[in-house]
Amino acid sequence: MTTRLERGVTYALLTLFAVLSLVPVVGILSTAFGSQGSLDTGFSLPRGGPHWGNFADAWSRGHFGTYLGNSVLVTTAVVAATTVLAVLAAYAFGVMRFPGSTVLFYLFVIGLTLPQEALVVPLYFDLRYAGLTDTYWALILPQTAQSLAFGVFWMRTYFRGSARAVIEAARIDGANSWTTLWRVLVPMGRPAISTMVVITFMWTWNEFLMALVMVSDEAHRTVPLGLAFFQGQHSSDAALLAAASVLIALPVVIVYVALQRRFIEGMLGGAVKE
Amino acid sequence: MRPTALIKAYRRRAPGEPRAVGYLYILPALLVYAVFLLYPFGQSVWLSSLHWDGLTVATPAGFDNYRDLFGDPALRAPFAHALLLLVFYSALPVAIGLLLAAAMSRVRIHGMTFFRTVLFLPQVLALIVVAVAWRSILAPDGLLNDTLRAVGLGSLARPWLGDYTWALPAVGVIGTWVGTGLCMVLFLAGVQRIPRELYEAARIDGAGPVREFLAVTLPGLRPHIAVALTLTIVAGLRNFDLIYVTTSGGPGNATSVPAYEVYHRAFETNQVGSAAAVGVALTVLIFALTVTVSRLVEGRRA
Amino acid sequence: MGCPRRAFPAVLALGATLLAAGCVPGTDGSGAAGSGTGASTAVPDPKAAGKTTLTVWDQEIRGGTNGEITQLNREFERKYPNVRIKRVARSFTDLKTTLKLAVSGNNPPDVIQANQGYPDMVSFVRAGLLAPLDNYAGIYDWNTRYPNTLLNLNRVSTDGTDFGRGRLYGISQTGEFVGLYYNKDLLRKAGLEPPKSWGEFTAGLARLKERGELPVQFGNLDKYPAIHTFGVLQDQYAAAATRDTVLGRGSGFDTEATKDAAATLTDWMRRGYLPKGANGLGYDDAAKKFASGDGAYLMTGTWLLADLKKTMGDKLGLIPPPPAKPGGAPVTTGGQGLAWSITSRSRHPQVAAAYLDFLTSAHASDVMTRHGVLPAVPGPAAAKVAPDTVDGQMVDGWKRLSAADGLVPYLDYATPTFYDTLSAALQGVVSGKTSPDKLAATLQQDYGAFLDTQRERHTAAESR
Repeated sequence: MTTRLERGVTYALLTLFAVLSLVPVVGILSTAFGSQGSLDTGFSLPRGGPHWGNFADAWSRGHFGTYLGNSVLVTTAVVAATTVLAVLAAYAFGVMRFPGSTVLFYLFVIGLTLPQEALVVPLYFDLRYAGLTDTYWALILPQTAQSLAFGVFWMRTYFRGSARAVIEAARIDGANSWTTLWRVLVPMGRPAISTMVVITFMWTWNEFLMALVMVSDEAHRTVPLGLAFFQGQHSSDAALLAAASVLIALPVVIVYVALQRRFIEGMLGGAVKE
Repeated sequence: MRPTALIKAYRRRAPGEPRAVGYLYILPALLVYAVFLLYPFGQSVWLSSLHWDGLTVATPAGFDNYRDLFGDPALRAPFAHALLLLVFYSALPVAIGLLLAAAMSRVRIHGMTFFRTVLFLPQVLALIVVAVAWRSILAPDGLLNDTLRAVGLGSLARPWLGDYTWALPAVGVIGTWVGTGLCMVLFLAGVQRIPRELYEAARIDGAGPVREFLAVTLPGLRPHIAVALTLTIVAGLRNFDLIYVTTSGGPGNATSVPAYEVYHRAFETNQVGSAAAVGVALTVLIFALTVTVSRLVEGRRA
Repeated sequence: MGCPRRAFPAVLALGATLLAAGCVPGTDGSGAAGSGTGASTAVPDPKAAGKTTLTVWDQEIRGGTNGEITQLNREFERKYPNVRIKRVARSFTDLKTTLKLAVSGNNPPDVIQANQGYPDMVSFVRAGLLAPLDNYAGIYDWNTRYPNTLLNLNRVSTDGTDFGRGRLYGISQTGEFVGLYYNKDLLRKAGLEPPKSWGEFTAGLARLKERGELPVQFGNLDKYPAIHTFGVLQDQYAAAATRDTVLGRGSGFDTEATKDAAATLTDWMRRGYLPKGANGLGYDDAAKKFASGDGAYLMTGTWLLADLKKTMGDKLGLIPPPPAKPGGAPVTTGGQGLAWSITSRSRHPQVAAAYLDFLTSAHASDVMTRHGVLPAVPGPAAAKVAPDTVDGQMVDGWKRLSAADGLVPYLDYATPTFYDTLSAALQGVVSGKTSPDKLAATLQQDYGAFLDTQRERHTAAESR
């Protein structure tokens, strides 16, 4: 028995919040096409057609080519390592029973609430001692460890939920635990795995603190840091800064638009476990 | 494939459900996790009991660094700020999310996918990009002040990020912007799972929108609220990038937060022990809050 | 979430094990590097160094200095084809926040720009991260190239305790002073001349305000700009005493001069001589606004000249802050740009030294002049700059200030934490939240505590 008024109010509310969500995004986009050296300090509209050159300028002046390469490398490595390790561990937690499994599992879950700020200080001194700061390892290894908390938690939920019958059937067919995992469960679990991949990808791509502390060498810098320093250098050149922002946000946004269901599912991961 | 061989060897000895082999599967993940997460955390706890400048010999500090957390105003303030920010990062998004979920539980929405995609978008942007965008919005000549002036509220316009009273709420609003979409989408998913019959029953009983919300929607969303609170609290307390780019803790120290203080102390002002103590205290705070939230929800359910 | 109760003891046990194993590399003091001394006695020859990559971290990102450094780097590489310069340039604030991490890391840059004073340069020296340059100063005649007052600002005592004396740890390329940029059009429209005395200047501010112009443009979101403004004001009340205080031998900050300067700043904010909400406006944004005609004056350093000139052209003028009486000696905050230093673990100290010499040579001075940058030691080209241009005004101002000994070092040099203390407290003054008395007390607390530590260190050093 919904009245027309109620309908109107609901749509109005939704639209209002959708607009609020979009304003900063659209502002950055429109500024990115504006003219450089414009005296505006806030958002601006492009005058005299879009200035595509801003992107090329930001790309070359901000070394974003190098940064993007580094980000791709680090992200790929973290995602790959997390996926393999998390699938293996979660498989054991999900379908096998052995002493200490609960405790070990909760050890991983604790990692979901452990803030990086509590790790970064000793990690820096450890890795420096090991000669690993200013290398990709300093970014890959700690971030893999942090992603594992979510990965193991998420994949265990999947393995718990996958039908017992499927596993039994595979075993009767003579498959051992290893082949059951890779031949049966992993292909079946593609949606769950892709959710994990997408979330890990986003976290790693956007990571700031680790990248700030572990890498001071320009050659290993990733995009979020690149943007932060670029903003320091060009804080008065709104168009260039906006163009650079668009460049670094774009990969994640593209993946998001293509796979948004996976994103939302993963971020809301906890709710599914009820 | 060494593990395969091992597993085969194991199976030959003990056919049936594999047991101890579970440890082999867990080992690689546990190794990485222990070395790069658990061990450093232990080290943090240890570091927090030292006076150390990061270079010369460290001296034991006992609980000095923790006592300073309560005694030193320069350290108390960041934690107070963090708690206030939670109102913006956690309470507001959850409240707004609930409001919308309530409205939407009564109406069939067309174009849901579009709204969901747009509302959730702030979550996927790097916080650095978010910070750049909002720094521009909150600038003295930025979009917010321009809008206020355009609608005749020019007297409210102020340099948001440079104002002692308003800088912290201004940073908070950025957090609200980021978190609201998450809560809303989460609750929408939850509302769709609430059986239609419950609503119909409530309507037959003559319940208005408010009673319907309190009697049906809210209880049905309880687990989702717990998750939303947990996620936003953790995100709100791990608030480094945003502060780094927008205010660097200023004006004065009006927006300093624990996460920023850790970096500042450890890598700029040579107070490594104190930085570690802040990090550990932050962990305890996050842990306490998340456990409280889940207990509250579980407790009511029981 | 929520662990089942039986898991808790196990988790605790595990945590305790980890804790017992906890030991962070470096807490035994092994991280402190020894301070190497440059051992060479002959002029280093970079050509003999073989294929070399010199990593350089600087903060010269503005139009003028960026252009000048880019050109000099190119010339240096052409002169020594075996040397490649890997330049990392970032803003002053970003450099300040990341430099310590970089220099104490495993692959520190060879050459860095370190801010003088206790917060950066002295703490680096204490940690043995910078190489002393006295040797090279002898070889390259830096001792005679620069006046002693400037060299002293780059000195730190051997034990890393005192700033302003001892060994040389850096050399500056540019000269700097905080001056008054003015917009000629706006002054003319208000019927004003560039002020000849401080009184004339402040009277002009009132006049501009009445006419509805913004008298002084100012943006303090980045925290440091107020240090410059405040420094200039304080210098008007007690320049010599302030200098002594910064160098650790003065009367401290709980003085009338500090309070008067803070009161003036508060008064200017209240009267609207400075823009409302300056704390929310970025430094570069303020400069941009001034350049676009918003604000008659801008009180900042000579480093901004090239950028401002690019937008404003002939409309731009620059003078040192006017003296108390017409024709008197001007005083202001300034000295030299950030010091260029060599890290102690650089693998190419000789090439680095040659690079520093190249950056500060007479030829480099001329390149700077052509890019609108003020060299610490003006070269032949500076003498030929037409005196009625803004560049000419800058060179002339520098000469007058140097001749009158009117340069007071930046206040943030004063103690290891003074940059943070001062910049935070000044944001409070700008907002009207912190009273002049409170400011003086806050600054003195930091300064007094530091003097006590210094005294202890000196006693400890003597008894040893």
